[in-house]
Amino acid sequence: MAAHLSYGRVNLNVLREAVRRELREFLDKCAGSKAIVWDEYLTGPFGLIAQYSLLKEHEVEKMFTLKGSRLPAADVKNIIFVVRPRLELMDIISENVLSEDRRGPARDFHILFVPRRSLLCEQRLKDLGVLGSFIHREEYSLDLIPFDGDLLSMESEGAFKECYLESDQTSLYHAAKGLMTLQALYGTIPQIFGKGECARQVANMMIRMKREFTGSQNSIFPVFDNLLLLDRNVDLLTPLATQLTYEGLIDEIYGIQNSYVKLPPEKFAPKKQGDGGKDLPTEAKKLQLNSAEELYAEIRDKNFNAVGSVLSKKAKVISAAFEERHNAKTVGEIKQFVSQLPHMQAARGSLANHTSIAELIKDVTTSEDFFDKLTVEQEFMSGIDTDKVNSYIEDCIAQKHPLIKVLRLVCLQSVCNSGLKQKVLDYYKREILQTYGYEHILTLYNLEKAGLLKPQTGGRNTYPTVRKTLRLWMDDVNEQNPTDISYVYSGYAPLSVRLAQLLSRPGWRSIEEVLRILPGPHFEERQPLPTGLQKKRQPGENRVTLIFFLGGVTFAEIAALRFLSQLEDGGTEYVIATTKLINGASWIESLMEKPF
Amino acid sequence: MDCYTANWNPLGDSAFYRKYELYSMDWDLKEELRDCLVAAAPYGGPIALLRNPGRKEKPASARPVLEIYSASGVPLASLLVSTLPALRLGAGQGSASRGQLPEPPSPLQWKSGPMVSLGWSAEEELLCVQEDGVVLVYGLHGDFRRHFSMGNEVLQNRVLDARIFHTEFGSGVAILTGAHRFTLSANVGDLKLRRMPEVPGLQSAPSCWTTMCQDRVAHILLAVGPDLYLLDHAACSAVTPPGLAPGVSSFLQMAVSFTYRHLALFTDTGYIWMGTASLKEKLCEFNCNIRAPPKQMVWCSRPRSKERAVVVAWERRLMVVGDAPEGIQFVLDEDSYLVPELDGVRIFSRSTHEFLHEVPVASEEIFKIASMAPGALLLEAQKEYEKESQKADEYLREIQELGQLPQAVQQCIEAAGHEHWPDMQKSLLRAASFGKCFLDRFPPDSFVRMCQDLRVLNAIRDYHIGIPLTYSQYKQLTIQVLLDRLVLRRLYPLAIQICEYLRLPEVQGVSRILAHWACYKVQQKDVSDEDVARAINQKLGDTPGVSYSDIAARAYGCGRTELAIKLLEYEPRSGEQVPLLLKMKRSKLALSKAIESGDTDLVFTVLLHLKNELNRGDFFMTLRNQPMALSLYRQFCKHQELETLKDLYNQDDNHQELGSFHVRASYAAEERIEGRVAALQTAADAFYKAKNEFAAKATEDQMRLLRLQRRLEDELGGRFLDLSVHDTVTTLILSGQNKRAEQLARDFRIPDKRLWWLKLTALADLEDWEELEKFSKSKKSPIGYLPFVEICMKQHNKYEAKKYASRVGPEQKVKALLLVGDVAQAADVAIEHRNEAEMSLVLSHCTGATDGATADKIQRARAQVQKK
Repeated sequence: MAAHLSYGRVNLNVLREAVRRELREFLDKCAGSKAIVWDEYLTGPFGLIAQYSLLKEHEVEKMFTLKGSRLPAADVKNIIFVVRPRLELMDIISENVLSEDRRGPARDFHILFVPRRSLLCEQRLKDLGVLGSFIHREEYSLDLIPFDGDLLSMESEGAFKECYLESDQTSLYHAAKGLMTLQALYGTIPQIFGKGECARQVANMMIRMKREFTGSQNSIFPVFDNLLLLDRNVDLLTPLATQLTYEGLIDEIYGIQNSYVKLPPEKFAPKKQGDGGKDLPTEAKKLQLNSAEELYAEIRDKNFNAVGSVLSKKAKVISAAFEERHNAKTVGEIKQFVSQLPHMQAARGSLANHTSIAELIKDVTTSEDFFDKLTVEQEFMSGIDTDKVNSYIEDCIAQKHPLIKVLRLVCLQSVCNSGLKQKVLDYYKREILQTYGYEHILTLYNLEKAGLLKPQTGGRNTYPTVRKTLRLWMDDVNEQNPTDISYVYSGYAPLSVRLAQLLSRPGWRSIEEVLRILPGPHFEERQPLPTGLQKKRQPGENRVTLIFFLGGVTFAEIAALRFLSQLEDGGTEYVIATTKLINGASWIESLMEKPF
Repeated sequence: MDCYTANWNPLGDSAFYRKYELYSMDWDLKEELRDCLVAAAPYGGPIALLRNPGRKEKPASARPVLEIYSASGVPLASLLVSTLPALRLGAGQGSASRGQLPEPPSPLQWKSGPMVSLGWSAEEELLCVQEDGVVLVYGLHGDFRRHFSMGNEVLQNRVLDARIFHTEFGSGVAILTGAHRFTLSANVGDLKLRRMPEVPGLQSAPSCWTTMCQDRVAHILLAVGPDLYLLDHAACSAVTPPGLAPGVSSFLQMAVSFTYRHLALFTDTGYIWMGTASLKEKLCEFNCNIRAPPKQMVWCSRPRSKERAVVVAWERRLMVVGDAPEGIQFVLDEDSYLVPELDGVRIFSRSTHEFLHEVPVASEEIFKIASMAPGALLLEAQKEYEKESQKADEYLREIQELGQLPQAVQQCIEAAGHEHWPDMQKSLLRAASFGKCFLDRFPPDSFVRMCQDLRVLNAIRDYHIGIPLTYSQYKQLTIQVLLDRLVLRRLYPLAIQICEYLRLPEVQGVSRILAHWACYKVQQKDVSDEDVARAINQKLGDTPGVSYSDIAARAYGCGRTELAIKLLEYEPRSGEQVPLLLKMKRSKLALSKAIESGDTDLVFTVLLHLKNELNRGDFFMTLRNQPMALSLYRQFCKHQELETLKDLYNQDDNHQELGSFHVRASYAAEERIEGRVAALQTAADAFYKAKNEFAAKATEDQMRLLRLQRRLEDELGGRFLDLSVHDTVTTLILSGQNKRAEQLARDFRIPDKRLWWLKLTALADLEDWEELEKFSKSKKSPIGYLPFVEICMKQHNKYEAKKYASRVGPEQKVKALLLVGDVAQAADVAIEHRNEAEMSLVLSHCTGATDGATADKIQRARAQVQKK
């Protein structure tokens, strides 16, 4: 079912099984038939943990989306609300419960808070007079959801905004809790490194929580050697740039949600002769993207320019394999061929899908506008003309290109220049307000608060120092057979991943100066292990580092980390955790404010 | 050795009974035991004496005195019963007020009747049954715990007799009332009163009765004249013991064994019937020929032993009888009291405390005169070895020849467990250890465990501690319960030593005891808060499994809030710490603790608490000092209380946020233009105060725009409101209002370049090619002419596009020509430019059939360029 989670260095299926068990235990507490009322936001993440079949096995007969007024009719004994602990949801639930009370037979109501039970919400339910209606009020600590063999996400949409704009550290608390759960399953992580204000807070909370748990000594041999906590605002640059890996581009163009992507259906129409393409499917094609698919695992992290050759090589291999049937003479040979058929057919299907996707993407990447945009991005990142108004951005505004695209570029320029000159900044802002509407003044303010858009203060542009010291711009990029992480952005090496790389070798002491330029403190904490659990590393055995991006991570960064994991002399393998999988667009969107 | 079996008395052929002294009693009793109500708890438990249990009319000097002693007679508590609290019964049955704190003593209000019976619960709480059916519960140290009533029926008819009994659920109370009815509760911890059915024709009190427990249900067996009745909660049935000798006209005494399995009946003929408690089987009988009613009769048997015996006590005589024609007789020098135990009987008097039991098999095998059992030989061998005699070898060979050395060792270990005196334990263990040397693979754990157990037993049997547990009792009781009992006696250091010695896990052992100790410590009112807190922290430190909040809750329960707060400082779990702080009304402290934890939900909880508790000003001031709480509260207000949010910003002089707030309001809260403009005005003012010129100006522009849009809507109709400046101009152009559009663009200082784009796009949308051309010629285009070509092509107007293609500057000329499909000319231009990239671009646009010649031309030109 979720075998791909166990392929990695750390078996994340253990975590998945643990959360599944917890879910089953809760469902079994509510004996009899059940209907689940979902907080819509949770259905995606839950899908990665439990399919409908699991729920059905535990007598879940109906599922609804949480909405105001009445619940749809359902002949079940239990009604379970699965919700995030938010006050506005409590109001809806109470509406549901009250209208249900007035009609029909008595039901048992339950509430499952994800990921944390909240006194505040229970108080609200109490004030609304429905708290007593719930038989079970429990929490389901689904903090970190396994997405792939080396990837965990909290899928907490607002995490960045809450942390950096609103000083609300709820998601940091959940992150710390999630890390405690991981440590309970995979052993205490002996060393914690971190950079950034939020990282510091999460580390503090973890240390505090560890103190709370003393007594129940963890006797599991540690799987992770290090934990690296990174604030997103240490590296605001990377997500702004356009990702150029295969997976990154799919996400940039179509958006990957909870490992699923929805694609325009035309390219996926079954090719039949004589059909003339009359009955094109109209419903979007939905595909799951993870390492369970062999081909996808191979190409996802490649630079898009290297994908085509892999696909054509694959095509040859597969058709050669199908040709084999002509060589099969004996019954035994035919039998063997037939036994391989399902696997071959799956491979052929997978190849067809990805060829279609690659075509779709190619249409975009070969467009002139994409090229122009990329050129501007790369100029900014390599430090060219970042201090004056850019004519491409001007043209984009004048032609009313999507606002998010414009904001991304302006922010990128600002970040690559350690802030814009007041005149330049005001010009951009005025242009944006005049073109897209005054209401975006709120969004602009949010971007300023987050540090994405700011006037240059102190008069010094520190980005070139950072760029040179960390070698963020690499002129000689090999997209086909990369030798450096910079291939994921065709030249730009993501700052965050560079920090991780330098931490593992030669250590952060070599870049103290740059670390001081980047925001927030950097630190190291040790969690002492009992002597019996201390690891004796075999020569040549890689360390495992859990790297936690507080505020989101992009697929390109993940690709870069996977590249480092696979380096023969890398010495470190990475497991990646984050509050949310983001790309520049979804990230900027989460910071936008629409007053109407 | 000869004298070792001197206190062994045979009963029949197969068993010996021995009686040995546990303690000589430390107490200095003035009265005889017979003048007291006596209750002794099993498992070597404490002894309670109530002197002068008698009547109210006695003079004050002779008021009842309740004393509690350890089994060795060390006083634990003494109190005048007249200082008992006055009790007023609740209306309903079984109105128990458990868990209450002791009420202040008020001797004048003493109303209740005299004490009828005493007994110990399984938790070693003393239950005192008063004549009015009220049961007072005291702790081991005479501390009043609670009281409960056995019901109105009991209150009306008074208590005639009462028994405390133990079942697997806990401890029960059975009452015989003046109306000869029984009421019982099987578990005083969970008081459920049960009134037993009436015994038909019962006119007087039964001659004797007892409680029994069968199939998890408590019964009562009572004797009325020659008849026996069994009462369960549904019915009363007459029962007859099988094989009962004839001529019985009354039963004088009955005894149920410790495990409720056996029953003994003493009749007025001096005959004793012994059988199963189910009354289905007779085990044996005995005729002692003493017709005087015995004072006490108890069973004396050992678990897993086939021997059955009861001990019967009269004033000065003690008799052990069983399945043998002769009983064993002892003379009692003093008034004595029997305490049935799991594996024997304890007998105490004013001066001594003795234990009477059947000699265990292992001991019997080893010590029986002329025994040739392997254990006996091993003990002998070891003794000879110590004497350095070669006989040691002979004995050892003898055992080994029979291959019985393992049994011999085992026997010695086992026998050591049953010995009370350390010297004898040691010599047996030494023998076992000696024997072990000659065995290859004898598992060491039984020996080690026995040594450990005996050390623990010897420690608690010590006279100062006074818990004379036997090995079997200790195993039955378990170490956990023993530790609880030590804690109950406040013997914390000993309990901790035992835990450490036995290496018990901290959570079950040391931590638990330290926590109990701390809970006791906080009740010491004469010690200052600081000292108590420090003492507790010093001892407990970060011991895992200790809940400081539990201890703090206890301190708070004793009215020591300050101490509780000090203790909570040590509590690492904020989830426990914060609610208690709130309960103690230390909300501000709770707030800082909640913030420290990072648990935002906890912070919110405290905040809402504070909000209700403080007035608004104080609340805001508190928030001001806690930035994290403040930002959380702002979040809360954003969704729940917008007005409060404004007040918060105002208080902080946060003009920037205030400005944003009003901007939001201008969209969300206001409908009318005037309202919206006013809101924006407020926002602009705020932005000025925040020194954000840009935002202020932009806001003023927006006000201007809104008014203008309103006017446009009035004059032209259509929708203008909430369009951006850019879109407003576009809309005006699209509706042919070019003049107004120009005016607006000037008013809002739209940059030239953007205005050109704007016009270009709008005119192309209108397909007003004439106007577009005019516009393109109005002056030199600041955006070049390529956009013109592009936009025409977008509208599929190649004809118009070509017009502009010629005007495109040289840099973009190739691109423009290719757009309009003029490949040949594009090729010429590219060749002219000698630009390789352009040439490649053109080449990629060449289609095989038509542009063959052109392609060749380019190829050649490119080759030339490359040559150079």
